Amino acid sequence: MKMKKVAAVLMTAVMACGLFAGCGSSDTKGEGGSDSGKAKINICTWNEPTKNEELNMYVQCEKATGIDVEVTVIPESDYSSKLNQMAATGDDSIDVFILWENDLVNFAKSGGVVALDDYLSDSDINTDDFIDTVSELSEGLDGTYGLPWGVAAEILYYNQDMFDAAGIPYPTNDWSYDDFLAAAEALTQKDGDSTSVYGCALPNVQTWWAGIGMAGDQIYDPASGEMVLGSGAEAFVQDCADMVGKGIMPEPSSDTADLFASGKAAMAWAGSWNMATYGDDLGFNWDIATLPTNAEKYNTLHTGFYAINAKSGDAENAWKVIEYLMSKEGQTINSTASGNMSALKTIAAEGAWKAESVKTVENWDAMTDSLENGIFGYTCLPAGVTSNAISNFNSAVTGGMTAKEAVEKSMDYAAETIGY
Amino acid sequence: MKTKARTSSWKKRETRTAYAFLTPWAIGFVCFTLFPILFMFSVSLTNRKLNGMTEYIGFANYTNMFKSDVFWNSIKVTLFFTIIMVCVTTVWAVAMALLLNMKHKLNGIFQFCYFLPSVIPSVAMAYAFRTIFGKEAGLLNALLSMVMGKNVAVNWLYNHSTVYMAVFFVTLFTYNTGQMMMIFRSGLNDVPQELYEASDLDGAKAVHKFFNITLPMISPLVLFNAVNGCVSALNGSFALLFPLTGANGDPDGMTQVLSLLIYKEAFTNMKVGYACALSVILFLIAAAFGGALFALSKKLVYYEN
Repeated sequence: MKMKKVAAVLMTAVMACGLFAGCGSSDTKGEGGSDSGKAKINICTWNEPTKNEELNMYVQCEKATGIDVEVTVIPESDYSSKLNQMAATGDDSIDVFILWENDLVNFAKSGGVVALDDYLSDSDINTDDFIDTVSELSEGLDGTYGLPWGVAAEILYYNQDMFDAAGIPYPTNDWSYDDFLAAAEALTQKDGDSTSVYGCALPNVQTWWAGIGMAGDQIYDPASGEMVLGSGAEAFVQDCADMVGKGIMPEPSSDTADLFASGKAAMAWAGSWNMATYGDDLGFNWDIATLPTNAEKYNTLHTGFYAINAKSGDAENAWKVIEYLMSKEGQTINSTASGNMSALKTIAAEGAWKAESVKTVENWDAMTDSLENGIFGYTCLPAGVTSNAISNFNSAVTGGMTAKEAVEKSMDYAAETIGY
Repeated sequence: MKTKARTSSWKKRETRTAYAFLTPWAIGFVCFTLFPILFMFSVSLTNRKLNGMTEYIGFANYTNMFKSDVFWNSIKVTLFFTIIMVCVTTVWAVAMALLLNMKHKLNGIFQFCYFLPSVIPSVAMAYAFRTIFGKEAGLLNALLSMVMGKNVAVNWLYNHSTVYMAVFFVTLFTYNTGQMMMIFRSGLNDVPQELYEASDLDGAKAVHKFFNITLPMISPLVLFNAVNGCVSALNGSFALLFPLTGANGDPDGMTQVLSLLIYKEAFTNMKVGYACALSVILFLIAAAFGGALFALSKKLVYYEN
């Protein structure tokens, strides 16, 4: 009997200890120390830093500041939600966040990140040099809460060999939407009833919005925070449905292959970050151009903001790291490694973003042109709202509903979601 | 008198010991089951966001939910998916168990081969099937093209008429189906042989033997597997459908079960309060399915004792 009691008490004690162990909090963090005795700052990002030390801005930051910079990589698909969970639980393991457009305002308003104005007043960073669209993202806040790490645009990629074979002149930065439609049709190669080479790949999760924006819709209203879709979206979705019907564009499917890179699509609309990925490895000649102009010249810009976690135990050193990353040296390394432009106009003008590995690109003006005409649009909306809309557009393209129904359904869902 | 007092004291000690043994489970139940359920219900009465901002809003989440077309579509899909998935996987598991129960030399290899996919994590398996079901570069279309001698380009996961076929096919390879098969197989071994021998003397055919002997004798296991299958379909379908058809349950919300919608609202729209309200509904549906199955079992399940 005694043995039984002892066993029961022991099991209960082990269970209770396990529970209390889980409730404990780390008190080692916040002192900002590393094993080497140097200050340590943890920064989170969605991109694995390059292995090339010369082009790794975090390694160069360590050398320049003497601070250990530890990089935590969170997969892109979970990035925003993980950061929000960290803010909700008061997690102090990350000192510097790179916040996406739709998170910056929420984090600032909920006190998840600190205002940078005091730091900026003693710094060489010239916030007046930021491109205008970046400054607009912080409107409505009582200060500056984040500094843009770089800017990416959306561009047209085209297969030069296919254009040459079809005898069609290459796209230019003042190409019209009608020029694009005509070229896509002419470049399509059929094999009986099926298509062997598509004129253009289906818009991806980013460039659906470029097509809608260039058709004249506002997409995102900064004043109300609402999604604004209308006749522009209907027209563009219908155009895509027509092109899919004629075999000029592929249907949406579960295929993960990049049809442009695999030589099965003559053109594609995609983010400028693909340039560094494509490099010179595609096996054909390719170049870039600005997305065609329809009712508007439009593409969506993409960025992230360096911000200091309000729970960081070492905000001073976190700022030093940000200051280096925003410096000319830090921004130049970032641009060279990623192919993204600096949001600081004077640094961007020096052209470090022209990725050296990409020998085939000649029309670098497409990037500067896209940056000038780009805005922060759908990226300011909740991701669930935009992904829901794209599912509806895809359904319209495959004949599951009309373009009008797809837009109405997307607007209904946005209305019940935004402003929660 | 003394004996009575001693017995009473012994009983008290026994009871205390029993409670002491129950305490670890009780702690676990309170901390990891009861508290989360109560917390989920309390959060469903707020507009809590993923970043922690929260405000009490009463039953507004529920009233908004009942007005939402997306919610009602999800309820319809959840019920359809659960019922069909339970039927498909149970019938398949019984069929496989019957095949395995036949005396063949290669039974062990067959059992190993069939059970192997069941131990692969659902997410990894679903991603593999997503690639297999691709339209342009999918393995299945390539095989069909080879066999038929012409280009086959079926959009398995985006076509309204093929998506359910593809999804339910994948459910046959989940851990839950493999486990069902093993349970049925052990049950089939326990069916008394004399019942089959007697029916043979009466000239019964295989179909009659299955419906009049085998099925009644393994009916308690059918009930057990059906209840498990329901819970698995309601809660575990996320791991299968998210990689296959995405958080929006493509195409056109046809595969957007409640667990997918909960994820989407909580982690992409950051509406944790609303997602908790959806979770309460999922909890009630699971309870209703369990209750209905047990009620049905009183009529359909045969117990020897």
